[in-house]
Amino acid sequence: MSVLDELVAGALEDQQARERVVPLEAIKRIAADAPAPIDARRWLKREDGVPVIAEIKRASPSKGYLGDIPDPAALAQQYESGGASAISVLTEKRRFLGSLDDFDQVRAAVHIPLLRKDFMVNEYMVWESRAHGADIVLLIVAALDDDTLSRLLKLSESLGMTVLVEAHNREEIARAVAIGATVIGINARNLKNLHVDVSTYGELAADLPSNVIRVAESGVFGSVEVDGYARAGADAVLVGEGVATADDHEEAVHALAAAGTRVKASEQRPLSTHEGPYFGQFGGRYVPEALVGALDELESVYTAAKADPEFHKEFARLNRQYVGRPSSLTEAPRFAGRIKDKTGLNARVFLKREDLNHTGAHKINNALGQALLVKRMGKTRVIAETGAGQHGVATATVCALFGLKCRIYMGQIDARRQALNVARMRLLGAEVVEVTQGTRILKDAINEALRDWVTNVENTHYLLGTVAGPHPFPSMVRDFQKIIGEEAKRQLNEEYGIDHPDAVCACVGGGSNAIGVMNAFLDDDRVNLYGYEAGGNGPESGEHAIRFAPGTGEVGMFQGTRSYLLEDKEGQTLDTYSISAGLDYASVGPEHSWLKDIGRVNYSWATDDEAMSAFKDLCETEGIIPAIESSHALAGAYKAAADLKAKGYSNPVMLINISGRGDKDVATAGKWFGYLTDEQSKALEANGAHGTSSDNTATDGAAEQNSTDGE
Amino acid sequence: MIMTAIRTDNVQSNALTGSQVGSQADFQADFQPLGISHRPSPTETLLANLKAKDTPAFIGYLPYGFPDAQGSLDALRCIVENGVDIVEIGLPYSDPVMDGLVIQAASQIAIGQGERLEGVFEAVRTVAQAGAIPLIMSYWNLIFHYGVERFATEFEAAGGAGLITPDLIPDEAGEWIEASQRHGLDRIFLVSPDSSDERLAAVARHARGFVYAASRMGVTGERATLSASPQELVRRTRQAGASNVCVGIGVSTPEQGAQVGSYADGVIVGSALVHTLLDDTGTKVRDLHEGLDALAATTAALSKGIHEARR
Repeated sequence: MSVLDELVAGALEDQQARERVVPLEAIKRIAADAPAPIDARRWLKREDGVPVIAEIKRASPSKGYLGDIPDPAALAQQYESGGASAISVLTEKRRFLGSLDDFDQVRAAVHIPLLRKDFMVNEYMVWESRAHGADIVLLIVAALDDDTLSRLLKLSESLGMTVLVEAHNREEIARAVAIGATVIGINARNLKNLHVDVSTYGELAADLPSNVIRVAESGVFGSVEVDGYARAGADAVLVGEGVATADDHEEAVHALAAAGTRVKASEQRPLSTHEGPYFGQFGGRYVPEALVGALDELESVYTAAKADPEFHKEFARLNRQYVGRPSSLTEAPRFAGRIKDKTGLNARVFLKREDLNHTGAHKINNALGQALLVKRMGKTRVIAETGAGQHGVATATVCALFGLKCRIYMGQIDARRQALNVARMRLLGAEVVEVTQGTRILKDAINEALRDWVTNVENTHYLLGTVAGPHPFPSMVRDFQKIIGEEAKRQLNEEYGIDHPDAVCACVGGGSNAIGVMNAFLDDDRVNLYGYEAGGNGPESGEHAIRFAPGTGEVGMFQGTRSYLLEDKEGQTLDTYSISAGLDYASVGPEHSWLKDIGRVNYSWATDDEAMSAFKDLCETEGIIPAIESSHALAGAYKAAADLKAKGYSNPVMLINISGRGDKDVATAGKWFGYLTDEQSKALEANGAHGTSSDNTATDGAAEQNSTDGE
Repeated sequence: MIMTAIRTDNVQSNALTGSQVGSQADFQADFQPLGISHRPSPTETLLANLKAKDTPAFIGYLPYGFPDAQGSLDALRCIVENGVDIVEIGLPYSDPVMDGLVIQAASQIAIGQGERLEGVFEAVRTVAQAGAIPLIMSYWNLIFHYGVERFATEFEAAGGAGLITPDLIPDEAGEWIEASQRHGLDRIFLVSPDSSDERLAAVARHARGFVYAASRMGVTGERATLSASPQELVRRTRQAGASNVCVGIGVSTPEQGAQVGSYADGVIVGSALVHTLLDDTGTKVRDLHEGLDALAATTAALSKGIHEARR
């Protein structure tokens, strides 16, 4: 005899004992006099949340004894005040240690729908449920034949009750649908290890008709599971142990309800207006507590600035008069010719010329925006990390403009390959610190900047350069960069009479230029979006910075945010490699990870070879020397063209974001193409920055020095 | 009302639930309970016992796998034998943003030696067997990557008491809070001198074991002098509801230990211990025998300073 058979037999025996005391006719009369049931269907599906059915449960066959519940009514009231939409009361006594007495106590205490959870075997139990004031009853497909199932369903509904029909697998779901169940609970527990697999739930629930309310029934312990079920399309969740055994029942229910609300809120927003801290499962604030105050301050100052017309006016004025915005939108017919030669696709290609901005890249957009916030916060010192040097130059520039003290952290390897930018930053009055710890590239520069920030947070702003890091950086930097796409859209319209591009291509390191050019098009399904990561020597080589290709990145927490991450089997950050310092990063902005997971942006990569070949193509065809970073977008455009062709486009309009100019890369490119001798190349490398991180930063023994530095 | 109308049924149910005691025992015998653990925190018990004796706890940090797997077990045993009450076993991480040069160097050495998270449970057992309370200090990605539930299960089985999370704030700790509740593990979050009262209250509410108060703004590392701010932070953290507040970051001498121990429930020392195992360059391992002798001497001196702080 299976556990279920045993439970059903026991339920029947107990029911018969109760019927001997209160016969069917008597229980029908009591049911008729009971207060009308609540229409629970209206409580189990909402636009703005995932209703929680909180269960009063002392034990279960799968989990054993969970705990005493001396006062079910008090527990139910705590559930109700925590935000439960319905309460489930186990009345099975043999294995679940419940009773109808529990049910009555709860009924008297709360005013939300009540589910009687038992092994319903016959009409008597349905009448009995109603007599006790139940609004919802449970029918278990596995425990009943189709005929009984159908009869009990119809009787329950005729008494005004909602029926939660529980199914475990595809076959049972089909049976539930066939008898006309409108609320189906899916119990996706793996019977071998009792674990719950959200993806199994998703596969099972996918077959349900759209008018059916889907209740995820098993293994909801905390917000992690609610989050997973909500994303998999569950309308409501039923949770027992997770709330019944919590120390603070009200708080436990509240946390679950909040998780559901968060997912629903996220699903209903237009993609382009998503705000942190979370983008789907990504984002957040994985930082030391010491930074929370500064992040909160930044968030509130930014929120206030966003609502202040004066801020926008000043930002717009500086963009126009100092940066030189709008940046041009240049048609590139000869480059389009190369695309046609390679792919056979006859595309019109437009270049968004962020390379024409003051300082030569899109980075100035964000640096300027954040510098205005630094003024508002009253801080006097700015630190920043830089990879290619473009963000460091932009930061040094705005610090010069606003009279702020500036220190730039740069990995030693990056500093050597971007010697000219190191010199530029110093000319602009910034202190450049060459980071010698770790792998000596961008991520290590960020670590040092974070250590500095933790130490000097009182007077220092960390002017993070990309859409990564802890909230509010991903949304805030996106907001400062989205002008790229907004201008391009308008320019296509006004200057070329084109309504929308068919494709947008951008390179993705941290991802700020890509988010910037794509944001205006996220909610326009006609626009195909393509992001290209740094392929280095190719995904199989292990020498790359590809986070999104299968077998490369995994979800992890890195430098303040949850996103895709290149890590080894121990969770240690992997070394990355790219010819382009600006794309050489182990993680990626959380919004990109989300856009990848929901399939809105197609992410692929361009190798060093492909990027350098596209670099030369643009130089030769259009007289524009792009940054090597941007060359990844150009190389990607060939791939995007092939994809568009495969999708049936014949004369598409392609927009490519030229995120920066390539002057800084002339030494690298000259060497790559053999225009410079080794000696000439060497001469162009830095002679070594004068300070190094190990003797000059916020670590051991230098904190005091740093804090005075900032004054 | 129906409640009275069907009283007979209630009476019957109540009579039947009289058999609950028996069922309860059956359940415990037949099924593995997976509910919330209510096992008391050994850390809190120890801190309470020490408090009764008016003595602060000495909490020592060493990274697992440094200078190598076996060497780290010897070093852990050494600090327990020389007076450490609670051990923070650090998990070496490639990007330790809350750590200064000494612990960065030790972490890199350990990772270079092939340190693996799986092995840390051996260190947990070693500390427990030596008679101290084992905590793990880890950047969150390592635990997340290993699997939060898997980590909690194995950590509990090894006799671990709790986890210190330098880059996980309570706001992001949902999965860990739930797993730690299931396994009866301590959740030790940090606070810093500029934490607002609201933040202190949020941390105190979610903490178990103790709250880790950073003595100053900044990363780990030895300091010649300590400011007065930790005492104020300890006071504010207690006021925010924390029952135990221990102070770390920058405490490196017996005198500083005595100073902090006069008001904190525990004194946390890390870099000063790790330092003894490094050579003069501060980046390479010194001879292990010499190192362990130095470690023993440093630990014993700190133990005296801290444990006698209020005499």
